[in-house]
Amino acid sequence: MSNDEIFEKVRKTLIDALSVDDDEVTPEATLIGDLGAESIDFLDISFRLEKEFAIKIPRGELFPDNMSLADKSLVKDGLVTPEGITELRTRLPHANVDKFAADPKMEHISELFTVQMIVNFMAHKLNG
Amino acid sequence: MKFEGRTALVTGGSRGIGRGIVQALAAQGAKVAFVYQSNSQAAEALVAELTQAGHTVVAHQVDVRNKEAVDAVVKTVTEAWGKLDVLVNNAGVIRDALLATMTPEQWRDVIDTNLTSVYNFCQAVTRPMMSARYGRIINMSSVAGEFGNKGQANYAASKGGINGFTRCLATELASRGITVNAVAPGFIETDMTEAVRNVAEAEIKKNIPAKRLGKPEDIANAVLFLASQESSYITGQVLSVDGGLTLGGF
Repeated sequence: MSNDEIFEKVRKTLIDALSVDDDEVTPEATLIGDLGAESIDFLDISFRLEKEFAIKIPRGELFPDNMSLADKSLVKDGLVTPEGITELRTRLPHANVDKFAADPKMEHISELFTVQMIVNFMAHKLNG
Repeated sequence: MKFEGRTALVTGGSRGIGRGIVQALAAQGAKVAFVYQSNSQAAEALVAELTQAGHTVVAHQVDVRNKEAVDAVVKTVTEAWGKLDVLVNNAGVIRDALLATMTPEQWRDVIDTNLTSVYNFCQAVTRPMMSARYGRIINMSSVAGEFGNKGQANYAASKGGINGFTRCLATELASRGITVNAVAPGFIETDMTEAVRNVAEAEIKKNIPAKRLGKPEDIANAVLFLASQESSYITGQVLSVDGGLTLGGF
């Protein structure tokens, strides 16, 4: 499946799950900040992606369960440490961690969850 | 009929309050699946009675404490009927004992059957209800969840737990068109209250402003309301159905 096809399916899924307009769902749009997703929506999005793409998404694989980086070495004074950035790359291999690392404020961590991240994840799942 | 085209799953459905709920939902046109623990005879009799009356009712013997078994029955019901609109978590037991002598088995049996079962079923129905953007979950609490009764620490803990669980889950699912409420019965004429009624019925009635014990239909009527489409703006509530027992009046 091409990335364009994947994007269109992801877009349709997000329109259904979040009741947003189609022009709001751009690759750069953040799920929480731009599209208004709440915690339960992440579950709903996962369920709908499974149905739309007819695949299984193991729990925590697309959206990790715990993003608080509670370990002290990973966050210091509200900033994600280099160790924390490494941890994020492991947990969110399909997110644009480089962009976040340029200004790694913990309060902006939700911006890692973008439409493109889902597209990248699905492309990896479908096409390897 | 109010529940025409709706599907419902009721736990602990073969006897007592659960039986009343199954009958009421079926009479209002819902397709009803109920689960029961052990009394096959009572379950078969109820299915036969309601089927003969032209209703769609099926029974499944399930250990509600067992997550895999619960997942399986929810899957069976949702696949057979295409959706699940209403879940009534009614299964419950009492194992009364003063705490000083309460065995670990008495504690666990009550907590697992009354409370863990609610976790099991609610989690299993979350996905189909979220996909449908519609659901009505009603958990059977008790006045014992808020008021102290000697010998019921296990039961009260399970029912108080249900109240808190109900409020939390209500906030999680509200945006998906799913409401989660609890009904807290007072003294209802069922097998469960038979022992205490035998020794203290007159005394109990004196303390109930309505001057009578409740019947399973009284609880079923409250459940019907919370299970209906019309109750869509009510969620996270614990509705006492007790003839005024807990009002504290004189």
